[in-house]
Amino acid sequence: MANALDRRRQAVGLGFVTPTVLVILAILVYPVLQSFVLSVGNSEIDGSGGYRFVGLQHYAELMQTSRFWNSLKVTLIFTAFSIPLELMLGIGLAVLMNEHFHGKGLARLAVLFPWALPTALNTLMWRWMYNTDYGLFNAVALQTGLAEQPINWLGDQTLAMASMVTVSVWKTSSFMALIILAGLQSIPRELYEAGRMDGMTRWQEFRQITLPLLTGPILVALIIRSMDALRAFELPFNLTDGGPVSATESLSLYAYKVIFDFIDFNLGSAIVVIQFLVIFAMSLIYIFTLRKKD
Amino acid sequence: MKMKLLGAGVLAAALFAGMGTALAADLVLSIGSRGYGPTVEKNLAGFKQANPDINVDWNKVSDVPNDARKLYVTGLTAKSPTPDVFAIDVIWAGEFAQRGWLQPIEGLVGADVIKAYNPSFLEAATLDGKIYAAPLYVDGIHLFYRTDLLEKYKLEVPKTWQELTAASKTIMAGEGPQFYGFVSMWGKIEGLFMNWLAFTNSNGGGFYDKDGKVAVNSPANIEATQAMVDMLYKDKIAPESVLNMRPDDARTLFQQGRAAFLMVQDFVYAPLAGDDSAVKGKFDFTRNPYFEGHPDAHSTTMGGWFLAINPNSKNKEAAAKLVEYFTAYDQQLTAAVEENRAPSLPAVYADPKMAQAAVLTKLGKDFDVGVVRPSATTGSLYPKVSEIMQTEVTSALHRQKTVEQALNDAQQQIEALK
Repeated sequence: MANALDRRRQAVGLGFVTPTVLVILAILVYPVLQSFVLSVGNSEIDGSGGYRFVGLQHYAELMQTSRFWNSLKVTLIFTAFSIPLELMLGIGLAVLMNEHFHGKGLARLAVLFPWALPTALNTLMWRWMYNTDYGLFNAVALQTGLAEQPINWLGDQTLAMASMVTVSVWKTSSFMALIILAGLQSIPRELYEAGRMDGMTRWQEFRQITLPLLTGPILVALIIRSMDALRAFELPFNLTDGGPVSATESLSLYAYKVIFDFIDFNLGSAIVVIQFLVIFAMSLIYIFTLRKKD
Repeated sequence: MKMKLLGAGVLAAALFAGMGTALAADLVLSIGSRGYGPTVEKNLAGFKQANPDINVDWNKVSDVPNDARKLYVTGLTAKSPTPDVFAIDVIWAGEFAQRGWLQPIEGLVGADVIKAYNPSFLEAATLDGKIYAAPLYVDGIHLFYRTDLLEKYKLEVPKTWQELTAASKTIMAGEGPQFYGFVSMWGKIEGLFMNWLAFTNSNGGGFYDKDGKVAVNSPANIEATQAMVDMLYKDKIAPESVLNMRPDDARTLFQQGRAAFLMVQDFVYAPLAGDDSAVKGKFDFTRNPYFEGHPDAHSTTMGGWFLAINPNSKNKEAAAKLVEYFTAYDQQLTAAVEENRAPSLPAVYADPKMAQAAVLTKLGKDFDVGVVRPSATTGSLYPKVSEIMQTEVTSALHRQKTVEQALNDAQQQIEALK
């Protein structure tokens, strides 16, 4: 009797789970496998002419392509600069939004605004502001005398990367802030009261109560944001198209160009698989760090 | 990542599909709004009147060729039935035909219509004896200049690059800071390669040598490319921001009255001459300069646009009608007289009304010193060739490499392609 009920429950459960599993298999697992299959073979995009296995030939080709190494470097530099800045600003914003003040709701909304807007639109807006000849920044810089010559924001190799990091920090710090704010609100008030009784300063409170209890949310935010940064596409695509030369060409953008400009899905898939491995490795590092803390 | 690409593909396909809804005689036409100008709107209205049973949706694509190309590639790869008719750059014709993305137009477009097109244009869209697209118009890059400023500083219209540099320096000295001598489209786009071909050919160089071998790093090319670098850093007549500019960025600066010389395609004539233009009535154009000692050198890098039919279109007959309408005598004559678009029907040039098309006649003269891009000869390798050239020339212009190094690298990469 109980057995039959269990079985029926199981059947119902399976019925509920199956569609989700199928969808995940179709849109998540299949493309990943397909990328891998494409990356070790030669084929035409429309499937005509069949598929020929070539082993690691495309990977070997990439290892000898300076443009690939450049895009890997660009991706890592972008991640290494934008994530810490976003984290610091994110914590600051979260602490601020956790205080009680007038117009708090409005402030929270305003902070979230950049994150809520589509990256492509944001980026185009910034591209106009960065414009050397009729952009906002140069107009201000020239009129206030901060600069004598127009600054070539997106046309200088170093400045272009800095400009891109700036847009990323502006846009996604609020996302970090949101996750960290949720963590902040779960910290019991009593801890702070106890701390105050022991004569802690505000800084000591932050270092010894707030930060340790925020480790979990911070790591979650870091994982999500690092994955995003490692596959940055819309940002360089719309801001600089990878330029000047290839100074801001991320792995995703390079893969996109190989696939859609050169119509080489096999080589492009090899780039994508390597990118997948990089992101996977980064996630593992974070996850092990997270486990240790627990 | 792959998931993202696939997602983008599905989304694009859905967008494409969504536009061509159920009605049997619905067409989607993809063409930029700038390249062929207001003529598109006019032609669509006329076509609607002549064919009330056919609905045409105009899908405005980017006028930056490579952006439009990406959109097409996504849709065509997915065998999307729309757009039914789309405008293609002459440099894609061979490659797209080879990939089976273009419907041969014979049998759809009338034989007499096809016979009337300029045969040398048709040749660019012919593969293995089949014609894959109908020529719409030709364009090229020209040198636009400020007549009022040349007069003010008592300067002649520059014939050579040396004269242009000298004139720019004089004008810049007089006009003060934030005024530039020379602007063009030197961003990392196809337009940069067109510029490079104009510069190198005007120095007796070019992509190929006399025997038809790739000669990117020839001494004449190195000299011409160095001249481009010098315009930026030695003579400082071009702002460094020119390295980010697309055609419209350069046009905007010139139109605001902030530059003396502008080197881009014909389409800028209409906006520059428009009522809201600060340089209306104060500018003219001439053929691109040449280097001293090469007065016969060709320097007008040419482009051309075709209308092609999607082989997966559900309404190929209606699509062919649209192509015929756009390339018909009357429509081409109007486009020529009113919008200065150079027709693909030789017969139009003999029309008495062409006497009114003074601007076009002048543009057409620059085509006598035309240079074509190596797209027909390199076929499906052309996108890679162009990308290599864009990257290497850009790295020279940014002084990341010496000119010689950059062109040697380009030569080596192109030779390795085959």
